[in-house]
Order: sequence, then structure tokens, then C-alpha cells
Amino acid sequence: MPPLVARFARLAPAIALCLLAAWSAVRTVGAGRRVPDDDAWAAAATRVRAALTGGELIVFAPAWIEPVGRLHLGDRLDLAAAGRLDAARFATIWELSIRGARAPETRGLTAAESFTIGGVTARRYRQRAAVVVTDFAARLTEASITGERARGPTAVLAEVGFTPRRCVQVVPQPDREVGLTFRDVELGTELAIGVGLADVFTRRDVRNPGELAVAVDGVELARWRFGVDDGWTVRTVVTRPGRGTVTFTARAVGLGASNRLVCFAAEARR
Amino acid sequence: MTARGLRRLTAAALCALTMAVALWSQRDVGLARDELVYMGAGDGYARWWIDAVDDWGAATSKAKITAAFGGPGPTDHNREHPPLMKTLFGFSKRLLHDRLEVASPTTAYRAPSALLHGILIAIVFLWAAAVWGFAEGLIAALLTLALPRALFHAGLAAFDGPIATLWVATLYCYWRALASWRWAPIAGVVWGLALATKHNAFLVPLVIAPHFVWVVAADAVTRARAAPGRGVAALGRALWARLYLPPALIVLGPLTLFALWPWLWLDPIDHVRAWLEFHLRHVHYNFEYLGDNWNHPPFPWHVALVTTALTVPAATLAAAALGLGVRVRGWWSTPAAARAGDPALLLALSVAASMGPFFLGSTPIFGAEKHWEAAIPSLCVAAGIGVVWAARRAAAGLGERWSTVRAGVLEVAAIAVVGGAVVASAGAETLHARPYALTSYNAVAGGAPGGADLGMNRQFWGYAARGVLAFLASQPPGRVYSHDASPAWGAYQRDRLLPPGRGDAGPEDAGVAASRYALVIHERHFNRHDYMIWASYGTVAPVFVLRHDGVPIVSVYRRPAR
Repeated sequence: MPPLVARFARLAPAIALCLLAAWSAVRTVGAGRRVPDDDAWAAAATRVRAALTGGELIVFAPAWIEPVGRLHLGDRLDLAAAGRLDAARFATIWELSIRGARAPETRGLTAAESFTIGGVTARRYRQRAAVVVTDFAARLTEASITGERARGPTAVLAEVGFTPRRCVQVVPQPDREVGLTFRDVELGTELAIGVGLADVFTRRDVRNPGELAVAVDGVELARWRFGVDDGWTVRTVVTRPGRGTVTFTARAVGLGASNRLVCFAAEARR
Repeated sequence: MTARGLRRLTAAALCALTMAVALWSQRDVGLARDELVYMGAGDGYARWWIDAVDDWGAATSKAKITAAFGGPGPTDHNREHPPLMKTLFGFSKRLLHDRLEVASPTTAYRAPSALLHGILIAIVFLWAAAVWGFAEGLIAALLTLALPRALFHAGLAAFDGPIATLWVATLYCYWRALASWRWAPIAGVVWGLALATKHNAFLVPLVIAPHFVWVVAADAVTRARAAPGRGVAALGRALWARLYLPPALIVLGPLTLFALWPWLWLDPIDHVRAWLEFHLRHVHYNFEYLGDNWNHPPFPWHVALVTTALTVPAATLAAAALGLGVRVRGWWSTPAAARAGDPALLLALSVAASMGPFFLGSTPIFGAEKHWEAAIPSLCVAAGIGVVWAARRAAAGLGERWSTVRAGVLEVAAIAVVGGAVVASAGAETLHARPYALTSYNAVAGGAPGGADLGMNRQFWGYAARGVLAFLASQPPGRVYSHDASPAWGAYQRDRLLPPGRGDAGPEDAGVAASRYALVIHERHFNRHDYMIWASYGTVAPVFVLRHDGVPIVSVYRRPAR
């Protein structure tokens, strides 16, 4: 080995440790500077606010920055939008993001407008909005209930998969089902249904899945199971426009399935 | 001054420095949920011991012991945890706050943990300095002090810092006892103190037993080589030379536990069984790890490795990797007889036993690094070795170039530069992490926001609520939904961190409904508290978001005016 190389090889571990120590300190102590501050959020929010006309959905990414996003724009996000079934009924979605993150609601969409202020990137997306002709959760009082239930149904804002969901929550008796029938409701070209198990603690303590079946005019169109780790699952079934009777049947699967807080939302759309 | 004297003086100085740093650091750290339980229990335990000194016969009645230490419920008077630290918390509060009036109640309760952390740092220094050298020991000790998470736990009236100390202390005493029987009873008593601190101590035999077998076997091999054909006799002599050790541990450890825990005096077998069953069937708290919320086994096998890689300062980790390489290489070149005095294997076994349960997939992962904190000093010792090795190597390289400079001077300078850089880096990270060390992650993760990007746990125990008290104090009075900080709310009011008129509104929906302000301490499984508040307040907009390095840790909502 040439002397110079040999000398460097002797110095290399010490130099590497010193450089790593410097990098480590700078990267951790300076980490906060790589997250936009309130001034940047306020400036971005002001510009977004000026473009809002009402009815837009505002989302934030990554999920962990959402409290800061709501601090600056939460007054323009109502409970119905926050607890949405999905983003399909919104013609415009504003996404405010940091650190290059994207919100799942804008996946596959192309931004019509975009700007960045102090590290906060705001993007406006346009999409063809689904028109909701019947919101079943909002019409819960009109439903006729059958079956063996431990609690509910009630219209609530619940935690499902650590996200907020405005839904009908019903707790069937173990291994039993509860039917909710909505008669003479307007149907569109599709029926969107979101469902999951609410409440992190009962999901932890009872591991049985739930099940939901959807029937229109007595014909079952879909049936699926959702487990404790599945979060909020959304399905869409095709329907014939007009008026009809829709029955949702929630089941707690298994004799040990106590406290299955089945939480579902459904929208007839065209 | 002799080398031994210098080592002792340095250890004492490190202990004092550590205590001072831990006590200073905890001043802004909010009260952790569990601390309130331990403080309350500790008050009762201390009172019982004082009563016992006054009237032993009356205090040791079944009714009095049960009233202080137990009860029919599995968590009555916190009987699911042994009493040593709680008792010390109680005595400390009586002495430092009630009698001497030199500390706030919270600081007084926490002082014993800080003292134990000081002892840990002193032991790390003494041990590593005795075996590998003064510089190695000093750097290892300072790197153990410069651990963001460990310093956080050292400032709490809880068990995780103290058990790490007593675990390492037991191993140190055992190691000393291998060479001198006088240390054997001390090792037994110290293990008993560890048992009386936290159930982790039951894993200590998993470190000591295989090491003892190895030491005896290695000695037997050496003796057999000296006297071929007498293998059994060599084994017998090797065992006989250390036969004082197992009984000292097996007898004095449990005896010390028994002596310190009056609850065991009533029904030892049943009460020990209840204690252990509580932890074997412990509820799985929610814990976020790599983007998922975990509250049910099987847990990922790599939690201990990944969490350590993301929470111990990166330079310390790199130096530890170097040191490990140096020791592994040196191990094989060391004569078998000399290896018996080398604690490297013991420290490695300590890491394995401390982290091992978390590879099973069934051990609850909540609390993360605090549950294997006893492993981390081993890493820091390796880091001390690695730093000094790199520095000496560099000094040797520079010596060839600067032959006029004395080799010793170059070596000291190199150790000062490299050691100083690594310690300063870890120290800066540790200072920056406070008071929200559970939100902080190292440079590998990208700091606190990097940890959030990776979906690592944000915090636990609700202690960060301390950071929004000033905001609440600036607002008009109103009851507060204090969320996970509710056990601490009374203490915050007692300590005048909150002006009057901001009492706790109560738990869950009823508490939210009765509140004017509402807190959400951000952990993923706590999102439901946001939604409860949204539904009650009719808004999703908080009025204040406490952040650490930009990462939200507590939101405050204010009920909109009607």
C-alpha cells in the first residue's frame, strides 16, 4: 500500500466518525427547519382561502401534519367533509402538503393549479363530481330495523381505521345480524358503501370480523367481510336509476363477536 | 493521585454531573400518567415505613400492610409493581420538599431516579475504565449520559431508568465477584434491589448463568491444558473456585426483595404469583411502529433493533459498531485465560437478554426503548472503545508525518477531538430533544419529522400536555377536557402551572360535553378524541397546536361561542 494511502486508511475511521457526528447533530438539531412554520402555513392558507367558493374538499399530507392544516384552514372544513365516505362527491380538492407528501384522495388526479410558499405546496385538483341523490346515514330515522342488536343504530362521527367517518353505527348480537331497510328511496347509477369496525379498543379486544350485505329490491348485490385491521373499505355497486328499497344487513361474525361496532355509510349516486 | 483514586474521583464527578443534568432536564417535562400512580403509592409506602419504625408490631399487622401495599384488586396500591423506587420517591418528597423545602414536589419525587442515573453513569465509567482504559470509560459514560430517551426516563418518578441502573449494577458486581468473593453478597443484594424495582430483573439470570458457565468452562480448559488427562478434576476446580457466587445471588437476591416488600410478608407465593401473572397477561397498549398501530400480537420481530437504530444518536451507533468490530477481532487474539476477565461477552449477553423478549413477537411493544434500556450502556461501552480505537489509529498515522510531536500528546489530542466530536454530537441531540424526547428520533430517521414520516410512535403517557398549559393560562377560564393528562391535572394546578378556573372536565364524551377547552395528545390511536371533540364543538379547527420540530404533539380546541 502506498504510504499516503496507508496514512489515510489510518485516519479514515476517525475522520468518518467526526463527519458523521457533525452530520448527525446538524440533521437532528436542524430537523425543525425542514418543516414549514406557521407563517408559511398562514400565507398558503390565505391564498387558498381566496380561491375557495364553497363545497371544496381540503386535505393535508402527510397525515401527521393535519392538525396544523386544520389550525389554519379548519374553519373551511365542515364535519360532513371531514367524515366523508370518500372524495368522489367533491368537484374540487385542495391538497396542502409538505415534504413532498401526497394525500390518498388525490391519487391519480392531475393538479390544475399549484404553488409553494415556504415549503407548503398547495395543489388544486378538479374531477367530475358524483351527484349524491340519497345519503343513507342522513336518513337513518326513516329506516326500519330488524334482527338482534346489542346497541344502535345511531348516526355518529366515529373512528374507523384511525380516520373520521360519519356513519350509521350498529352493534349486532354475536353471530347475529341486523337489517336496516330504507324504502322508496331514490337510486342513481351506483351505490357507494363504506364500512369498517369502529373503536380501536374493541378492535383490539375482540378480533372477530364484521360483515355487511347490500340488497336492492330484495336482490343481494354485494356482501363482504371486514376485519379489525382492514380500516375503512369502500365498495361501489351498479344500480338502476329510479326508486327502490335498499336493505343493509350488518353481521357480527362468530359467537365471540361481541362489541362489533359495525359502522357504514352509503350514498346513492349518479 | 493514584490511577484508582483518579478513577473514583472521576466517577463521583460524573455521578454528580449526571444528577444535576437529569434534575435540570426534567423541570420542563410534564407529568407522565404512571408517575402519578407511583407518587401516590410511594407516599403510602414511606408513611408505612415511618410508622413501622415507631411501632413495628402495629405496622406489620395484616390490615396495616394491606392498607399500604395491597388490597383485593390486582392494582390496589400499585401492588403489580415492586416497591423500592416508589418507597424512595415517597421518602424523597418528604425530605426534599416537605422538610428541607429545596425542591418542588415533582422534582423531589423524581430525584431518586436522577440519583440512580448518576450511579449508572459512574458504573459505566468505572467498568469500562478498569477494563479498557480511562478514555474509553469516560467516553462511554458521557455517551450513556447523552442519550435523549434515557435522560428523559432518568428524570421521571418511574422505574425504567432505575431498572437499567440496577441491571447494569448487578452485572458489574457479578463481574467483580468473579475475581473476589467479597463482591458476591453485594451482587446478590443489588440483584435483589433490581428485583424490588421492576420485573425485568428476572431476566438477569439469563445474562449471568451462561456467562458463569462460560467462565467456568474456559477456566477448566486452561487448567486441563496445564494438566492433561485430568479434565473432570479441572472442571471441578474451576467450579469450586467460584462456588460462592451462585448461592449469593440465589439466596440474597430474593431475600432482599422479600425484605423490601412487606406485601410479600403476608402471602409470599400468592403475591409473587399475582405480580408476575399481571405482567404475563398484561394488556397490549396501542403503539405506533413503522406506520401501523400495534395492539395485538404477533408484533414485528425487529422492533428492538429498528427502534434502537432510530433513537440512539447516530454517531454513538457508528462508534459502537466500530468498537464491536474491534472487540470481536481482539477477542480471538486474546488468550483464553485473559478472556475470563473481559466483560465484553457479559455486556453482549446483557444486550441479548434485554432485547431478546422483543424478538418473540408476543411481548408487548408499548414503551419501546424504555423496556430494553439496560441494553444501551453496552452499546455506549462499545462506542467508547470504538472512538478511542479510531483516535489512536489516527494519532499513529499522524505520528508518522509529525515525528517531532510526542506520540502521547498526539494520542490525547486525537482522543479529545474524535471523542469530543461524538460526545458533542450526541449531547447536542439530547439537549435538543428535551423536553419532548419521546417525539425525537435520530439523524438516521431524520429527526422528529423523519420519525413522523416513518410512522414511529409520537409519544406516550400524556406528559406533553405540560407544553400547552401556558396557552390555556392565557385564555379566559373554562373547564378543560384534559384527555390523557387527566391524572396530572391536579398536580399541574397544585404547582400553579394553571390559574384557577381551568379544572378537569372529566373523561370521554361527558367530559368533552362539559368542557370549554379540549386537549388531544397526539398518538394515532387517540385520533378518536379529535372526532369526539369535533362532534361536540362543531368544528375541526384547533386553536393551538404544540409542536416539536414541527411535529404536532398536542392540539387545543376551544368551544366556539354560540
